[in-house]
Amino acid sequence: MKKLLVLVMALAMVFAIASVSAENAKVLHFGQINPKVGYDPQTNTNSRATTIEECVVEGLYFWNDQNEEIPVLAEDFPEISEDGLTYTFKLRKGVYFSNGTELTTKDVKYTFERMFNPATGALSTYMYNMIAGAKEMLAGEATELAGFEAVDDYTFKFTLTQPFSCFTKNLGIIYAAIFPQDACEAAGDDWGIGTLVGTGPYVLGDHDNSSVTLTKNANYWGSEPHFDEIIVTLFDDENTKLMAFENGDLDLCQVPTDLYLQYQGTPTADKFHKYYPLGTVFLSINLSDEFDGQPNPLADVRVREAISMAIDRETLVEFIDNGLGTVATSTVNPAQLGFVAREAYPFDPDGAKALLAEAGYPDGVTFTAHIRSTDQPDMVQIQSDLAQAGITMKLELVDAATWTSLRNAGNVQCEWMGWFPLYADPDNNIYSYFHSTNAPGKSVFYNNPEFDALMDAARLSTDDAERAKLYEQADELMSRKDYACIPLYYPNYVFAAQDYVTNFTVGNLIYQICYDVDFDMDLYNAK
Amino acid sequence: MSRYLLGRVLQAIGVVLAISLITFFILNVIPGDPVELMMGEFATPEAIAQVRAQMGLDKPIFAQYFNWLTNMLHGDFGVSYFQHKPVFDMLLNSFGYTARLALFAYVLALVFGLTFGILAAVFHNKFIDRLLMTLSIAGVSAPNFWVAIILQIYFGLTLKWFPISGAKDWNYYVLPAIALGTRYAASISRITRTSMLEVTKQDYMRTASAKGVHGWMLVMKHAFRNALIPVVTVAGTDLGNILTGSMLIETVFTIDGIGKLMVDAINQRDLPLVQGGVMYIATICVIIYLLVDILYAVIDPRIRLGGGAEG
Repeated sequence: MKKLLVLVMALAMVFAIASVSAENAKVLHFGQINPKVGYDPQTNTNSRATTIEECVVEGLYFWNDQNEEIPVLAEDFPEISEDGLTYTFKLRKGVYFSNGTELTTKDVKYTFERMFNPATGALSTYMYNMIAGAKEMLAGEATELAGFEAVDDYTFKFTLTQPFSCFTKNLGIIYAAIFPQDACEAAGDDWGIGTLVGTGPYVLGDHDNSSVTLTKNANYWGSEPHFDEIIVTLFDDENTKLMAFENGDLDLCQVPTDLYLQYQGTPTADKFHKYYPLGTVFLSINLSDEFDGQPNPLADVRVREAISMAIDRETLVEFIDNGLGTVATSTVNPAQLGFVAREAYPFDPDGAKALLAEAGYPDGVTFTAHIRSTDQPDMVQIQSDLAQAGITMKLELVDAATWTSLRNAGNVQCEWMGWFPLYADPDNNIYSYFHSTNAPGKSVFYNNPEFDALMDAARLSTDDAERAKLYEQADELMSRKDYACIPLYYPNYVFAAQDYVTNFTVGNLIYQICYDVDFDMDLYNAK
Repeated sequence: MSRYLLGRVLQAIGVVLAISLITFFILNVIPGDPVELMMGEFATPEAIAQVRAQMGLDKPIFAQYFNWLTNMLHGDFGVSYFQHKPVFDMLLNSFGYTARLALFAYVLALVFGLTFGILAAVFHNKFIDRLLMTLSIAGVSAPNFWVAIILQIYFGLTLKWFPISGAKDWNYYVLPAIALGTRYAASISRITRTSMLEVTKQDYMRTASAKGVHGWMLVMKHAFRNALIPVVTVAGTDLGNILTGSMLIETVFTIDGIGKLMVDAINQRDLPLVQGGVMYIATICVIIYLLVDILYAVIDPRIRLGGGAEG
């Protein structure tokens, strides 16, 4: 009986200690829609997965919410040879992965060779394939990266096949996060599914389709993480996510644009905060002379300009997007290199009609836009605007998979597009969409050698002032003369944070939940 | 009986295989390439071709189907293209959530459906009958996602009695079970009432009454049991529907069940997951319908499985 009593008391103590420590743990509850893609940053580019990955793994550099690139695992920015081909990096010393192994140049080599191994199926190799030997590896012709040289355990060099001014910028994206060779090899196919080990401030704990638990990394090299745990609750329904926030189950979450208005006038709306991503929303247009075996009216720049003149952007932003946006004056976003303030695009339906007549379409033109359900509100409004100017835009609603297939095959005539760069350089979104080497894959087919030359020159220049000038000219040409797309607005996004949440930042669609964010503990305890 | 059962099982296997074949071909005909979706915006045609070859998608469609079928018969349902997990494990995991939700919802549907149906029949054309049938019309008509949101707002946000999302414990299932079970309770109550009213007009009911059987003994032993056949048909179909998952309820309440899994898989063209899910749904349906047929014979001894019904 005594033994039983002792056992019961011991158990009670264990539970008491466990419950006290659980109560005292400082936990951030973040809510987001389920990315459903795994957490290997080489094999997915989903911004919601990135939000979680950035807590666990780190790269050589990091882009913060002020659009500044800061060294993380690299000690400083690299030394670049005069010909712009060789980059020498020094790794920060004394950095350990959460499994206790030290970060050395062999992990960097392993990470990039894994990325270029075709069996990995890495999605972002286009951002790094200018490293010598990368293309050979991707083609299965080599198993080692010729352009990598380990000078010692902490110094390494990358040699490029051609100068590329954005190379260091691309290394600040999580797709180039450094993995520990031993843990990654041991995990095999489970990497990013059950296992993800990095140098980041948190360790990937229990995770399934409902939630992800991130626990504080005891080996973290930087300043101590603010939370003992971050619990990311994964939702499939935006409404439910916001209800969970209202209910106090979440400290932070994103607010979808379409639910923003319904909360106005409620106490919850006081907890909403706007932020400004780098992207631009535009009408993406197929410029090829023929479409679907017929002459394509959209190939005529006057028709494209008429479309631009027929759209009432102010109304679109104010009433359809609930005021969450700024009317666009160019394709380059105001926070990007090369942006200059320009006059607003005119809204002139009569002028649009006159321009169509001049182009040989006095009775108007007809074309088809393939849209996904999320594009529908904007596109229905635009359809109605265009009709006023005698332009018939047929809307064909398709699911995302069909839309992707049609677009990849160049079979989309017009579409709604929100295109966001990963950092504030137009190379990352304008080059990747409109340069003649990329445009066909976007169903755009823009091919202006003058524009290409400006974008190419900006890739080679290392002088940001010169690059800004080149992008300014390229944007003027593409957005104002060629109307290669019809810029609509720069979107604003909204997140919700409880009163006690401080220093919360969002960088280019990625919720930076693991760095500066903290609680005001007085307010938190009083809740 | 055993010969009948063997025949039905063989028939069921044939049905499941036919469904798998049709699904496989439909998925390959509709637009949307999983490899293009998986490889993202910047994949080169060469890289896409390479991955397609790795996944065996470059082979003729019949070869792909028989390859899938052979692997499945060896218990290998493949790996999800997007979540990179074994399909069988994913289905098993989601089945756990769907089965728990189905259990709660079905018990609720049966208890309320049968009780309301019997009460409405007993108090035919009285106030209780009108009240219950009005409720049941509302239950059948109300979209379950709307019921779900109302329940979340009232019992979750306002009263804070139950959690509004997730599936960590039994109390998480209360609101989704009510939202899911309401429609089934309503349809079971309506069919029970109709069937009971039909039975009460029969000669044997008058005979029982003349013999002195009255009250609830008459209702439950003579009327209800004889009214059960149509009820079992409806309730059986409902069980099949519930067990194959409800995309809307699972999405609204963030429950990682079969319905949600399947819709996501179809949207992503995650072919192994869709195929595995279809096999699961087809198997559940044929098993339920087989059980319903067997139950007919248990309820009504006049029905002889495989030998026709005696008059």
